[in-house]
Amino acid sequence: MDVLIQIVASGLTLGAMYAVATIGLSLVYGSLNMLNMAHGAILTLGGYICYAAIVHAGLHPALALLAAAFVCALVGLMIYFSAALPLLRAENFETNIFIATIGIGSVIENLMLKGFGPYPIPQPLAVDGQVVIGNVHIPLQNVFILGVAIVLMVGVAILLQRTSAGRAIRATSMNREAAQLMGVRVGRIYAQVLALSGALAAVSGIMISSIATLTPVMGGDPMLKAFIVCVVAGLGNVYGAVVAAIALGLLEAATQYVLGVRWSFATLLLLVILVLIWRPYGLFGKQQVVRL
Amino acid sequence: MTQDAAATPLLSCRHVGKSFGALAAVRDLSFDVGAGEILGIGGPNGAGKTTLFEVISGLNPATKGAIVLDGQDITKHAPEQICHAGVARTFQLNAGFDSMTARENVLVGAYFGRNNRAVPTLRAGRAAHEAADAALEMLGIADRADKVTGKLPVLDRKLLMMASAMATKPKLLLMDEPVGGLTAREVDRVMDAVRAIKAAGVTIILIEHVMRFLVRLSDRIMIMHHGEKIFEGLPTKLLDDRTVVDVYLGQGASERLRSFMENTHG
Repeated sequence: MDVLIQIVASGLTLGAMYAVATIGLSLVYGSLNMLNMAHGAILTLGGYICYAAIVHAGLHPALALLAAAFVCALVGLMIYFSAALPLLRAENFETNIFIATIGIGSVIENLMLKGFGPYPIPQPLAVDGQVVIGNVHIPLQNVFILGVAIVLMVGVAILLQRTSAGRAIRATSMNREAAQLMGVRVGRIYAQVLALSGALAAVSGIMISSIATLTPVMGGDPMLKAFIVCVVAGLGNVYGAVVAAIALGLLEAATQYVLGVRWSFATLLLLVILVLIWRPYGLFGKQQVVRL
Repeated sequence: MTQDAAATPLLSCRHVGKSFGALAAVRDLSFDVGAGEILGIGGPNGAGKTTLFEVISGLNPATKGAIVLDGQDITKHAPEQICHAGVARTFQLNAGFDSMTARENVLVGAYFGRNNRAVPTLRAGRAAHEAADAALEMLGIADRADKVTGKLPVLDRKLLMMASAMATKPKLLLMDEPVGGLTAREVDRVMDAVRAIKAAGVTIILIEHVMRFLVRLSDRIMIMHHGEKIFEGLPTKLLDDRTVVDVYLGQGASERLRSFMENTHG
């Protein structure tokens, strides 16, 4: 019983972090058909900015979190104006933007390496204390991460489902041309989605670095897992991505306990292969890819 | 608006051309559409009819010539600007937002189609909701407003597309094969819908292969072939034109259409 609680607790935390990292990636793919390979670097940047804002600028942690989200939203906008917008005018957007964002990600990563050094730094945004369920001590940090993730996911869901801006995002991802002809300014939608994705990546980066440590390359692993979640859920399917992220988090926690840490990633990849053989368009994807 | 409709056409295309590399899909096409008129466009597959719509609606801008809507040159405008200028379009295939409800579909048009929403407000206002409901009502699908679009039958989806287009409050509606794949009874339904849209004061350009539909609704007909205009005139004159009969209709279809027109007009 205690083991089960332990697995569920750490699985949910992992899943929640993956979910936040994935939502942004999935939104961007859903509306622009763009695989943002700089997502991992933006995520790391969010962690570092939060660190710098607390340690160097002396900001309150909550403000630091907002500052990081804001800066990363700007980076998202920058990617739109410097890469996506010019490339959208040319052929082969999907391939070109894929390569372009690898480049952007690598620039950001090296700037962080230059600015903060290669050594791991602890994330100062931390919540002390723990709750006890049965005989299991669960750090409040995990509860905090889960809480933030839930708030963000509900926020994004409300944005997409209930607001006019969200309706435009969904309309654009379902049918770009029809949306344009109904007066939706798709360029702005793309910019908004990339900014939102950047802000979400920042928060996810802060969460991840708060239970691990900050290094310039820490974004690679969560981004890879976010891609796995996206593919398993069906690329561009935001709600499916949340469910798949939490399921994969739980699976990872369970494998780590039962088989050991070194098997967790292999199991994850094996699962992806099986899912793609069984349903090539993803668990929640439909054959004729209906997004969002 | 007070000006004579015939003197100032709502839409005026002058020497419009669209080339994809060496292929000219639309060649040196000039025509006018008067306010309140229905212009029917027919022609064989590949004649450039849909490309002409792509050009007018701005999804695929013209490579030559000028398109003027209501005195405003829209040739090089972005699709959303052209929408705001007053052009709406329905597609040949069902192009709705599948996982939204019918009402939400129309709301996108009602909210974003009328004004340039640089920064959208949180909720669509009362005006947009009322406009969306009015459009659904006009096309007779108000009772299906809360159904998910992807699950609606074909006819309802076609009507929904028209409702979404009408919600943008257009001056000009471009309809690409509105009755393709419908049964005779459903065609009548769409015909009523087109008449209702015309009665609301909207000018319509109609592409259709179903000639009975085209001749009954259109005030004037234009036939295209290889990107060029081979006929423009009254529906009654269509069958007297040798080129149209030879190139497009064929002898048999012409005879059937002639007897159909005599029956309906006589």
